[in-house]
Amino acid sequence: MLAFKCIWTNEQGKNVVRVQVPPPAPVFALRVAAWQASFRRLGSAGVPAALDSCARTFYLPSMAATATPEVRPDIRREERTDSRTDLEPGYLVICWNDPVNLMDYVTHVFQVVFGWPRQKAEVHMLQVHNEGKSVLARESLEKAEFYVHQLQRYTLHATMERDQG
Amino acid sequence: MKLIRARRNQLVFDIGRREKRLLDEILGLYPLVPPAHYRLSKNVPAGQFVEHQRLLEESLAAQRQENRKNVKSLLDEPGRYQATPTGFLLKVTRPETEWLLQVLNDVRVGSWIALGSPDTEQGEKILLTEETAPQVRSMEVAGAFEAVFLDALTGRAPG
Repeated sequence: MLAFKCIWTNEQGKNVVRVQVPPPAPVFALRVAAWQASFRRLGSAGVPAALDSCARTFYLPSMAATATPEVRPDIRREERTDSRTDLEPGYLVICWNDPVNLMDYVTHVFQVVFGWPRQKAEVHMLQVHNEGKSVLARESLEKAEFYVHQLQRYTLHATMERDQG
Repeated sequence: MKLIRARRNQLVFDIGRREKRLLDEILGLYPLVPPAHYRLSKNVPAGQFVEHQRLLEESLAAQRQENRKNVKSLLDEPGRYQATPTGFLLKVTRPETEWLLQVLNDVRVGSWIALGSPDTEQGEKILLTEETAPQVRSMEVAGAFEAVFLDALTGRAPG
């Protein structure tokens, strides 16, 4: 990144202007030399004009040529986080108990439809059996609908309900 | 009926003549569950899901059509059953077993609905009368075949 420093000091009654240019800027260094010669010719009266020239020579062109505006996102601490439920409406895929579907059959269907291992499918099957229902998934409308279609193909009592939680 | 061979994609069952007649009869009852039985949602007012409910019904109707075709093919296909001295060998692939399960369960659930959806877990009894006997029979027979196919799929069938 290009940088320069322009200092105007008064040393022993003389106006001295120092300009520091980083080493890999030879073009600017030449301009500094020309500007210093002009300063010597005009004397202290030329200092304000010299400084102005300095700024025009180094600051403005370098800004246009090299400085790219850097936009950083505001980082601030959230006081509360939105839950997934707040962010997107979800639908629950629910399987309801009935006294007709065989337990092994229900387990098998859960495995096929959701790709679950037998153990997980059995947990949900037992939940259906013991508690009357089991929430099998929380999905978008389309996906929940898809799962309900699949479960009903196997004649399970499945519905989708909007997640109120 | 029992599983005698389970290959990677094929299951071979030994099925007696009487069992075959029963299986054919049960498969021939498909479909039994009335389309109105399928609801997409319990709590959401029907008006909100009209289009989705229609899609569900269309999807299930297409599935039934496909299953009916499969059943017909199973019943009619020569070579599907290979005669043995005691009965037949029934060869089915694993995907075929999946739709067979769907078909059998439809018959089971449909028979139960025809019986008035008795909640046997809450103590309601299924009355066996001359009128209800066919439904009770089809429900129980379909369940028995389902159990055989499930055991075969899960590798728990007695070998």
